[in-house]
Amino acid sequence: MIGVAVLAALLLAACATRTDDRPTSDSAVPGLLPGQVVTEQGRAAADLYLPIFVIAVAVFVLVEGLLLVIALRFRRRKGDDVLPSQTHGNNLLEVVWTAIPALIVTILFIVSTSVLMDVEATSDEPAVTVDVTGFQWQWTFDYPAEQLSFTGAGSEGPEMVVPINESILIRLHALDVIHSFYVPQFFRKLDLVPGRVNQFEVTIEEEGTFGGQCAEFCGLAHDAMYFTVRAVDRATYDQWVADEQEKARQTPPPLPSGGPAGSVLQVTSISTAAGYEPTELTGLADTPLTIQLDNPDPEAPHNVAIRGANPDGSDWIGLPIAGPGQKAVYTTPPMPAGAYTFYCSVHANMTGTLTLQ
Amino acid sequence: MAHPHAPTYRRSWIYEWITTVDHKKIGIMYMVTAFVCFLIGGILALVIRTELAAPGLQFVTAEQYNSVFGLHAINMIFLFVMPMFTGLGNYIVPIQVGAADMAFPRVNALSFWVFLGGAIIIEMSFLFGGSPTGWTLYAPLSTRQPETGVDLMVLGLIMTGISSILGSINFLVTIFRLRAPGMTLLRMPMFCWAQLVTAVLLLFSVPVVTAGLVMIFIDRNYGGGFFEPSLGGNPILWQHVFWFFGHPEVYILILPAFGIISEILPVFSRKPLFGYRAFVFATASIGALGFTVWAHHMFTTGAVYLPFFSFFTFLIAVPTGIKFFNWLATMWRGKLTFDTPMLYACGFIALFLIGGLDGAFLAVVPFDFMVQDTYWVVSHIHYVLVAGAMFSIFAALFYWFPKMTGRRLNERSGKVQFWLLFIGTNLTFFPQHMLGLDGMIRRVADYSANAGWSELNLLSTIGAFFIAASVLPFMWNVFATLRGPVNAGDDPWDGYTLEWATTSPPPVYNFDHLPPIHSERPVFDLKHGGGGHAPIAAAPALPAGTAE
Repeated sequence: MIGVAVLAALLLAACATRTDDRPTSDSAVPGLLPGQVVTEQGRAAADLYLPIFVIAVAVFVLVEGLLLVIALRFRRRKGDDVLPSQTHGNNLLEVVWTAIPALIVTILFIVSTSVLMDVEATSDEPAVTVDVTGFQWQWTFDYPAEQLSFTGAGSEGPEMVVPINESILIRLHALDVIHSFYVPQFFRKLDLVPGRVNQFEVTIEEEGTFGGQCAEFCGLAHDAMYFTVRAVDRATYDQWVADEQEKARQTPPPLPSGGPAGSVLQVTSISTAAGYEPTELTGLADTPLTIQLDNPDPEAPHNVAIRGANPDGSDWIGLPIAGPGQKAVYTTPPMPAGAYTFYCSVHANMTGTLTLQ
Repeated sequence: MAHPHAPTYRRSWIYEWITTVDHKKIGIMYMVTAFVCFLIGGILALVIRTELAAPGLQFVTAEQYNSVFGLHAINMIFLFVMPMFTGLGNYIVPIQVGAADMAFPRVNALSFWVFLGGAIIIEMSFLFGGSPTGWTLYAPLSTRQPETGVDLMVLGLIMTGISSILGSINFLVTIFRLRAPGMTLLRMPMFCWAQLVTAVLLLFSVPVVTAGLVMIFIDRNYGGGFFEPSLGGNPILWQHVFWFFGHPEVYILILPAFGIISEILPVFSRKPLFGYRAFVFATASIGALGFTVWAHHMFTTGAVYLPFFSFFTFLIAVPTGIKFFNWLATMWRGKLTFDTPMLYACGFIALFLIGGLDGAFLAVVPFDFMVQDTYWVVSHIHYVLVAGAMFSIFAALFYWFPKMTGRRLNERSGKVQFWLLFIGTNLTFFPQHMLGLDGMIRRVADYSANAGWSELNLLSTIGAFFIAASVLPFMWNVFATLRGPVNAGDDPWDGYTLEWATTSPPPVYNFDHLPPIHSERPVFDLKHGGGGHAPIAAAPALPAGTAE
């Protein structure tokens, strides 16, 4: 059978692809109870699961049990041709099995809404505020007070470092379409909606690195829109902030500084529909190239990415993305001679050719 | 065929079917079209499950995958379950209320042909770049995707929407104006009640989404700025418009199923439906409450008043619970025979229950924050739509096939199909609860090999092939039975309702004469006495037929 052959092939494929750098927090086969939850708010929510699960299992056993008993006991036997008693209803019974579920769901509503109030609670002064900006298919994490900014895309994405046992305010912005900020270990997701700012607070209670990804379908590379959250103690966090600020001071954005001829390329992104100008670029092979992108498009963010330019054969993606009316400067990895396609990772229809000699 | 007023000349059968305004032929055309779309949607489901069987992209590209899952959903919801119930209703409702046809036969034909056009345009979208927006068409993704396929999808959905609106008016007028003498509303079969409430839901919800789809089309092509934020539109508004239709839609897909189960269980238990009036009340209240819960699909948008929608979502579990207990009480102390329709009805109760229970979790807002847009929700909708709608559709097809064709489908083949489907459904969808609870999000072509999800995904894929395998015996069964002799008789199940009082298949005008109607079981009363709820005089009244 074809199906069996396909399944066998897939089984082999499943065994073959075992290495993977995408951020996940545990590799155990999941069960019917929630996994690790690390935030105060998430734990309050996850604690609701077990009692509801118990009620659900009780109802399940009751109904399936009744169904089985009925199916076995009240089968019509051979030769039995007497009509059973024609019962049309029983008001008392029906009132009982309306009232009991109504009571159960009312109690569940009260309990779950009171937990919701805790989960949604906000403090007057959060210790750290992070502005999360989502756009196709990347994240930018801005720390407005610390003046730090990190952008990343793809299977690793950017890292958000935050202190434990302190209240973190996460504000969510979307540049293009709807995305959703989701960290399973937070037991929480919240959408990033263009035109509005959503926010929520978490207090992380355990150190560790937790994987997250976009949870709202957002187009082509939705399945590869990852990020990580690293929770550390306060001292480590302060040290990290100081280090990153120092790093930002020491490496100002790479400026076009001479370099060998052909290693600095200039390109303009006109618009999503019109693409790049020029669409043909020529440069030096085996040399890191500096690409200066000018984005005069008032409507959309653009960048430059090069197909198959990374040493491992994957696409190299220029970051950060240049917002409307902004400029960006990128440094590519050295690439062997040949013709490459460059494109905008936000709008894959914008392409051009890069020839290296 | 010597009908009193039959034309004396014959036309080709193709011309007969294309020009027909007979509700039975239109019903069959709806069902055949729906089944073809079910096969297309099923193949798309296999594409999805084959890709997800292992981490990495092996089978399709991300672009293809992103169009496939939306088209799968559109096929199954708009082109399979909805028209299948419309087709069943078209065939059965006029006969069950004792009418000769639908109230507006030509409008009925128009509904079908508009639907067929819409269905073809929707399927064509795949050839024009697909519609990588999911079935929810969330703005501004749907207003920005450049593919022509999205426009075709929107146009096709507008056409099926118009068809549904016309059809629902036709059902309402038929049920309110064309009932036979004695057929009061509270003597109507539960299937007719379900179709009545469904028609009301359609009439109030479909115009909303159809108008919204027109706005999406304007946003996409003419810069309308209804939902497009860069033009001052509001993407959340589209979600309100969509789910104001989308949640009643869930009941549009499941109330007819409840109706079918409530027809079959009493007949195969040899008892009346337990608590008929409670059932009517529960059906109507599900319909009404169905309009108060739409924003529970939007809990994570940060833009809705959570406790209100949480409360009504909990509340709607109550009338559904009533139905479960009434079904069990209907079977209690009955004399059950497990022919295929009954097997499917029991399978429905056993598995739809899971879709009800895991749905109740989703009303708990803090828990919804965790599993919204994960495989938990995928599991929930499939327990509702596969174990609910699809099981009831097979129950109905096995139950009414003898009425439509005069032939009984093969029982052995039906049972093989049932167990394949029963096992496949659980294998496919139960593991998805665990995946969702661990954070596996939906609508992804690929997932991490380190997350521990590979085994359960493979299991789910194996289950999907079981489901696919279950469809094969059904198709063979229909094919072989149609080639066989007409041998079912007019009333093979010893049925209760009016369709069993006419011939199989019924004549164009349905009835030569109607039996008197004193209860919701006129044909039972005719055979066993005891009009209405009066005690039955003579007890020994079961046919010697199919006991096990």
